[in-house]
Amino acid sequence: MDEYKKPLPTISDENRGFWDGAKRGKICMQKCGDCGHIRYPISHCCPKCLSLKFAWTDLSGRGSVYSYVVFHQLYNQAFKEDVPYNVAMVQLEEGPRMFSNVVGVDNDAVKVGDLVEAVFDAVTPEVTIPRFKLPSKA
Amino acid sequence: MDTLRDKTAVVGVGASPQGKFPGSSALSLAVEAFKRALDDSGLKKDQIDGLLTMPGTTAPEAGLNYLRLGETLGIDPRYTGSMNMGGGTAGSLLHQAALAVNAGMANYVACVFGDAAATGGSRFNRASGWGDSYGIWGFMAACANSAIAASRHMALYGTTSKQLGEIAVACRKHASMNPDAIMRKPITIEEHQASRWIVKPLHLLDCCLISDGGVCLIVTTKDRAKDLKQPLVLMSGMGQAYTTQNMERDDWWYVPHQKLALDDAYKMAGVGPKDIDVAQLYDNFTMSVLLWFEHGGFCKVGESGSFVEGGRIQLGGELPINTAGGNHSESYMEGWLHLVEGVRQMRGACGERQVKGAEVCLVTGRGQALNCANATILRKG
Repeated sequence: MDEYKKPLPTISDENRGFWDGAKRGKICMQKCGDCGHIRYPISHCCPKCLSLKFAWTDLSGRGSVYSYVVFHQLYNQAFKEDVPYNVAMVQLEEGPRMFSNVVGVDNDAVKVGDLVEAVFDAVTPEVTIPRFKLPSKA
Repeated sequence: MDTLRDKTAVVGVGASPQGKFPGSSALSLAVEAFKRALDDSGLKKDQIDGLLTMPGTTAPEAGLNYLRLGETLGIDPRYTGSMNMGGGTAGSLLHQAALAVNAGMANYVACVFGDAAATGGSRFNRASGWGDSYGIWGFMAACANSAIAASRHMALYGTTSKQLGEIAVACRKHASMNPDAIMRKPITIEEHQASRWIVKPLHLLDCCLISDGGVCLIVTTKDRAKDLKQPLVLMSGMGQAYTTQNMERDDWWYVPHQKLALDDAYKMAGVGPKDIDVAQLYDNFTMSVLLWFEHGGFCKVGESGSFVEGGRIQLGGELPINTAGGNHSESYMEGWLHLVEGVRQMRGACGERQVKGAEVCLVTGRGQALNCANATILRKG
């Protein structure tokens, strides 16, 4: 397998919960220990109540496409083989939103509002990147 | 409550040549713009006692830009500083200058910007987030944020790419009447549609230029301005607002703070959208302009796409915008030239592209990853 050359997270104490969750096949985010708000992006404190207490919490991995774009312009050489590739802003069922990719279909097959579910792409031994797919057809 | 309505004047404007100038620097372009604005105002250099700067993307001193520029210009100011809000900086600094001169902390404040972005090849990439970069998923570059906004606006309201094209066409038509503009050859909707995708749903012609240039505006109180050489142009209204939270706000893509900034500016000026004769609306991407119409009350939420059709936003139409060509066609000075053009329109000094009888001009700015917004209402004095 070719070496993975695209950007990778720098795993630290602050973000390890998210990336460990992805390795386990879960979207895992921080739930505030005081107000219950599930936050993203990752932060040491709650943007609602500033509490420092939180628990890494597994989410369902289900969501919908909130917005959707396709990169044709190459901004980073590491994506040279990928363009055109999509990026979706995913509205997760539990409230947070995140950027990710919709995989397994043509770029033109995805629309705003489509339901999606998380899939997990182990790109290196250390890092698994959460991406999304359209639900499997029955 | 006391307000700053009509208490501040923009008394000098100047811009360096705009384009690509290898050998120039952010500093040299800023100095050229300062000299031209000073000449325009009739002031002497030693009268400038305030210096507010935006470090260009190619200014190595970044947040210490005010020191470098002050040293170069030989000005030891009473009031100074540098700020970077991307395209939201120009308006914010102009407002800061207004606060300073009305508070008596300086008499004449020069707001200055210079950048050699075309030559320097610098990138605008706040889009990729702070910590775990969104670049992990390939999300990067400023265009992506506006593409996210456009994609959702299209899905919710049926807005089309051709409607976005109306903005690019209007900017270019106006630039064709501006001898200082970089891109002056008129374009058609068909050419907009045929231009390559950058981040779909945005085409190349939905995007601004990247340019070398410098811009300067000089601000003082209305009372001091009366003795100066240019026709009086007053700052009637000012507003700013910010959404720092991107993912945490479900309406981030809609840039909700634009409405807050505009409402504050209208309130200070005592005007509303029907009073605006001409507008210089920040156009990093065409999508940004659509949202200004909705937030400014020129049309209803979701209706900006049809609003821009039929020549309404072109010279001769109901609401001419970006009469010098904007970031799309004049030059990408991150909104600084929008303020300059607003001042020139209020002076009645725009020649072929002058909006006849115009007395109130709205100028807007926005910057970073849809985070910053400001609005300034200029009035003929």
